[in-house]
Amino acid sequence: MRIVIAEDSAVIRAGLVEILADRGHQTVAAVGDAEALRAAVDEHEPDAAVVDVRMPPGYTDEGIRAAIAIRRDHPGTGVLVFSQYIETRHAAELLGAASGRGAAGIGYLLKDRVGDVGEFVDALSRVAAGGTALDPEVITQLLGATRRTDDLDALTPREHDVLSLMAEGRSNGAIAGTLVISERAVEKHVANIFAKLGLAPSDADHRRVLAVLRYLES
Amino acid sequence: MARVAPSPGRGIFLAFGARHVKGVAVSRWVAAACFVIAGALLLAFGQWWGVVFFLAAGLNGSLAYLVPRWNLFRDAPKNVERVRELQRSRAVVMDDAAARLRRIEQDLHDGAQAQMVAVVMKLGLARDHLSTTAARTGGASYDRAVELVDAARRAAMEAITELRDLARGIHPPALDEGLGAALAGLAARSGLAVELVVDLPERPSPAIETMAYFCAAELLTNAAKHSGAQRAKLEVGHQPGLVTMRVSDDGAGGARLEPGGGLAGLAERVKTVDGRLQVESPAGGPTVVTAELPSHV
Repeated sequence: MRIVIAEDSAVIRAGLVEILADRGHQTVAAVGDAEALRAAVDEHEPDAAVVDVRMPPGYTDEGIRAAIAIRRDHPGTGVLVFSQYIETRHAAELLGAASGRGAAGIGYLLKDRVGDVGEFVDALSRVAAGGTALDPEVITQLLGATRRTDDLDALTPREHDVLSLMAEGRSNGAIAGTLVISERAVEKHVANIFAKLGLAPSDADHRRVLAVLRYLES
Repeated sequence: MARVAPSPGRGIFLAFGARHVKGVAVSRWVAAACFVIAGALLLAFGQWWGVVFFLAAGLNGSLAYLVPRWNLFRDAPKNVERVRELQRSRAVVMDDAAARLRRIEQDLHDGAQAQMVAVVMKLGLARDHLSTTAARTGGASYDRAVELVDAARRAAMEAITELRDLARGIHPPALDEGLGAALAGLAARSGLAVELVVDLPERPSPAIETMAYFCAAELLTNAAKHSGAQRAKLEVGHQPGLVTMRVSDDGAGGARLEPGGGLAGLAERVKTVDGRLQVESPAGGPTVVTAELPSHV
């Protein structure tokens, strides 16, 4: 993969470059603020961008704004947002922007997840390929926020598990592996989720994104 | 408005120092009592001019009553100015404290937290390389090294989580984007299903935002921990010059403002900005806690 990194902390920036190089990926630009990130993406059209949330000048949500703009202007570039904190509102904004494109290509991970290099690079590859990668923390917080909605109340705990893994961007095979059930069982759960959320049978991937968004928005 | 102690009255007849009870110089009352006794003794011995002592006692008693009141009246404009001055300096101190906490959180974010992330990255890479080598060579010492590095990596990741919680307890970064944004995160992290309604047309001063946030955090924690509630509602609204916050839950009720209790501590903190905390929590619930804060300190 060809990757652009935007991170204002020099040590983390260097660490990311090192990890990606170690896994055979090329960092085409490593910058320290949102403006330089936009310029680098315009110039290099990378497969993915790793973007910190708090960057100069305001140190608030510059990275979120830049990520949404990149998804809008560069459909070929996946964006992995990478932060010390998970904020539910940022997750909703990112996924709202992603759903506008009809696909994802968005990731939102806590910075500590780089401790598991393999999983981190997998998440980045998923995002580069147009998938999603959401931190379990995002899911927990959004789950907390969703408990009052009636639609989701109708789901069984198992279906909740499946839906939360879907929201992390996992395939049916990966979900089956994580929950130690057969892929056939996962398919059944997914069909039940679609039915309970009232999603008409059309394109399966599209329904999958809709189910995840329903889950995340509520 | 804060109560201001009256300045001591000037001693006219007798002054034994500056002891005051309810703002009245004790010396005056003592003097009046002495005059009454002296007058009574003189009259008893047939000295008619003992009456003069009664007059003096009356004068002293009147002065004891009037002087502090006159002083209060005389000093009123000065006291009003002083209260304003105190309010101004309190605002400066509180905003300064809020800014200082924000800076500490930023320093943690840019310093220790970033360094720990870098450490975790290196340990992650080291573990992967070591385990590849271990798999190839099959040495027991390599396996041990993998275990050790992995333990260090996990400990470092836990430290990051702890640092994050610590930093959030000092100054939640989401507050920089506004009280509504920070409360949304708080509601999402709460163990309860929290319905959040925020209606604030303009931002209160940073110290008030911080206080409102930690107030909400403590009230939601109380609801989750003590009341057995499943759901809570957090409403933030405004009145002219005021931010109003209401936290209601469907728990068992029975929360009270007891001295030394958590709610009393909260009420004290709210009072430091001239705010008010009201608790309604009949046995059987529901609990409704209302906080009123000025929009600006």
